[in-house]
Amino acid sequence: MIDLNERFIEKRSFFNRLLFIYFFFAVLFLFLLFKTYSLQVSSYSDYELAALKNKTKEVLVQPVRGVIYDRNGNILVNNVPTYDLIIQPSKIKNLDDFIINISKIIELSDAEIENINKNFKRRATYNRELTIKKDLSKEEIAKFEVRSYQFKNAFIDVRYSRENKYPYLFSHALGYVGGVSNDKVLSILKNQDLKQSETTFKYSGGFIAGKTGLENIYDSALRGSFGKKLFEVDARGRLLKELSFEKPINGKSLFTHLDLNSQKKAFEQMNNRRGAVVALELKSGSIVTYLSTPSFNVNGLSNGMSSVEFEKLINDVDKPFFDRAGQGRYSPASTIKPAIALFGIKEKIVDWNFTLKDPGFFVLPEDQRIYRGWKKGGHGTIDMKGAIIESSNTFFFSLAYKADINNLISHLSEFGFGRNVCKDCFNPDSGLLPTPEWKMNNLNFGWFKGDTVNLGVGQGYMSATPVQLAYYSAFLAKKGNLQELSFVESDSISNTAFINNLSIDNSDWDQIHSSMIGVIEDPRGTAKRLKPLKSYVVAAKSGTVELVSTETKEDYKLVRQNIGNRDHAIIVAFGPMPDPEYAVSVVIENGESGGSVAGPVAIAVLNELINK
Amino acid sequence: MKKKLDFKNFSIYFDQYLFIAITLLSVMGLFFLYSASQEDINTVAKQAIFVGFGLLLMFVVSQPDPDFYNTFSGLFLIFSLVLIFLTMIFGKEINGAKRWLDLGFFTLQSSEIIKISLPIFLSSYLYNKPLPISTRHTFITLILIGFIFALVARQPDLGTSLVVFMSGGYVLFLAGLSWRFIGSAIALFLLSLPFLWNNFLEPFQQQRVLTYLNPDADPYGTAWNITQSKIAIGSGGINGKGYQEGSQAHLDFLPETETDFIFAVIAEEFGFIGVCILLSVFFFILLRCLYLAFNARDRFCRLTIGGLSLVFASTLFINLAMVVGVVPVVGMPLPFISKGGSSLLSFYIAFGIIISMATHKKLMQR
Repeated sequence: MIDLNERFIEKRSFFNRLLFIYFFFAVLFLFLLFKTYSLQVSSYSDYELAALKNKTKEVLVQPVRGVIYDRNGNILVNNVPTYDLIIQPSKIKNLDDFIINISKIIELSDAEIENINKNFKRRATYNRELTIKKDLSKEEIAKFEVRSYQFKNAFIDVRYSRENKYPYLFSHALGYVGGVSNDKVLSILKNQDLKQSETTFKYSGGFIAGKTGLENIYDSALRGSFGKKLFEVDARGRLLKELSFEKPINGKSLFTHLDLNSQKKAFEQMNNRRGAVVALELKSGSIVTYLSTPSFNVNGLSNGMSSVEFEKLINDVDKPFFDRAGQGRYSPASTIKPAIALFGIKEKIVDWNFTLKDPGFFVLPEDQRIYRGWKKGGHGTIDMKGAIIESSNTFFFSLAYKADINNLISHLSEFGFGRNVCKDCFNPDSGLLPTPEWKMNNLNFGWFKGDTVNLGVGQGYMSATPVQLAYYSAFLAKKGNLQELSFVESDSISNTAFINNLSIDNSDWDQIHSSMIGVIEDPRGTAKRLKPLKSYVVAAKSGTVELVSTETKEDYKLVRQNIGNRDHAIIVAFGPMPDPEYAVSVVIENGESGGSVAGPVAIAVLNELINK
Repeated sequence: MKKKLDFKNFSIYFDQYLFIAITLLSVMGLFFLYSASQEDINTVAKQAIFVGFGLLLMFVVSQPDPDFYNTFSGLFLIFSLVLIFLTMIFGKEINGAKRWLDLGFFTLQSSEIIKISLPIFLSSYLYNKPLPISTRHTFITLILIGFIFALVARQPDLGTSLVVFMSGGYVLFLAGLSWRFIGSAIALFLLSLPFLWNNFLEPFQQQRVLTYLNPDADPYGTAWNITQSKIAIGSGGINGKGYQEGSQAHLDFLPETETDFIFAVIAEEFGFIGVCILLSVFFFILLRCLYLAFNARDRFCRLTIGGLSLVFASTLFINLAMVVGVVPVVGMPLPFISKGGSSLLSFYIAFGIIISMATHKKLMQR
């Protein structure tokens, strides 16, 4: 038995120790309370945000691309709906029964059933939709709709595909759309302050963007802005309910200056020959016809084509993918002569009264080398107007011989050669305006006088694209008042007159116009055969691009046995005179005669544009 | 105020303060559980049966005289140990841990029983030993505590084994363990930490501790629970999101909402105000126990009340500290609130015994 004293000591010791531990716990609990306070009160906003981020998921909604129109309001590129059958796997209890039932209405292939079985479980778990059959026929849609009450967990939804209504006509001008790289997707979304996320696609092709042509150049305007749906999700990422929906803004329509009829006419006239046609409306400086042939079905590229078809196109010797209008390089040949004539006038090397005796060839004084004309025996005594009408090489050889090469180059540059002249062409080529520096750097040779002489007839190193030739044609027509070309009307085009660095009198421009009218109208004209094809006056200059240099006609007959060695036919034209509205350039590879082969195509296109 | 009601020949022993507070907690617990279990009425009904039975059990357990517990404390301990051994042999294995004994109608977590019977036994063993406690008795006590600790830790159940260890330690300390011994024990413990780490902790337990020490290392892996728990508590703010409105709990971001992490659900739905109200009920119970311990009739009762109330405080602290991310995740219920019969019943029994210790007076004192 413990005595009273000891009992007292024991009691006090117990109380002290119990209080000690209680005090210790009091400190601990206060600390916890403080910790809870700091979570719930001090850091509340951080955690509130974290909880919100946890439970919400953003799903992007793809906008529909803008429609592309021609200048008369004809739809060129449209979004064509296809109807897909979609199910909600999370609401289907017995998949096998469902497949048996739906198969009674809509036939499913083995591949489609396999696809369903493969993806069903996952989609069900995450409460996502599953497309079970694409591109339903009208019959299938009707059959499903009348029985849709049986299938509360399935519905038909529209998906678009991008369709060019004239798949061969505008392949190069409008281009095609296709899938894009992840980096591109990220940058597109970043522009909209969005992060990459699950997306509800409107196109069966998913994330698409313009790859070539105007689809590419105006991609951001055509694309529109992504919308976003906010869903509540649980920890497993299942979509529970829609919280908000910011609708996508569909892409803007693109109203181009392209003209469906003239494009059709050009296509028909080219008849799959290799070449290009570019026509411009002069008042606005806009492109109304832009054709490169042979062409290809652009819809195949946008919406998928078989690899065999693709291989065939890629390996085609005629290179249908190649955009000859914007990227093909051709010597301007004799079509350059009006520009050279203006140079002669400007530099006071010649005037309109100057005459020259043309023996059919030009002898370079430095090395006695002979430069031949196309007509044996020459054109006799000839003035500059006659030299343009009859296309005398000798006249322009001798004119160029007297030219300062650097002045000549800067003169030709004003006409659009050697530079890009188009605001919204896809990957435009600048052609080549050769300079002494260029020759030294690329060919390791100095500039010969003979190179300048060759430039006088548009042969040699110089090359231009059909777009540049069309620009050149329009430049002549508008007497130098021409800005960069464009497919669409742009707000930025000001009405102020374009100021060029040429100082050419109006009377000289008129002389050039009348010379070029003579090319068709004059009995001596190289393109006189075109005269009966039209009911109005057209100014033109034809050209024939020599691919192989020959001394005599007999030699050429041998050379032309190989089709690839035949001359290219080329023409630039504008009309109706005296107040031209349209300018056109036509190139036909290995077409041999600018006047009689390229000419009719140019006139047919002008007829289509003017006679309406 | 402790009371002894006279009904002619027999008395009823009852403490209305503890009874009301515990009933209040239990009812609040059912209310919280309904939301935490995603409105699962079956879970709540089952828990309600435990609560009803538990309250009855508490009342029954508080009727016998403390001498009864004093006399049979050894038997209780042996009975608890037998249950532990049975668990080791016949136990149900869940997630690699063998802690549960399937009794058909009820799955018993045997370690919950021993954290009650051990402090009672130690109180009964030490209450009549002269002060200060001799080295011999200290060692006998420590060996017993260590043995039981090792048994529970092997299940493995680190959390409960620590509480068991503490339950013994509290009684030893309250009974007058010498300060010199305490000092050297703490030093020894700190020195042997690396050894304990390597030999006593399972890899998943080590991982939990490492996660605790560096929670940002892997927020979506092992630290997921703590991260989500903190988000739940923090996003509750001052007023909470409202009953059944907790997105963390209802969208499955929060783990173990019905058991270990139920406090996070409460904090999310009722905010800091709700937390304060809930904790004040707990604190009231603890302070009431302190008062009862001071007024207990003898040393055995004092030690028992002190020991059991500290077990209660420790469980509460470990659970809260774990949920707010202050200590590693160890698996510890929130007393009277978390789902789980064993823990619930053992606390009703503990408080029944506390009431018995507090309300029975020695005749000679009257």
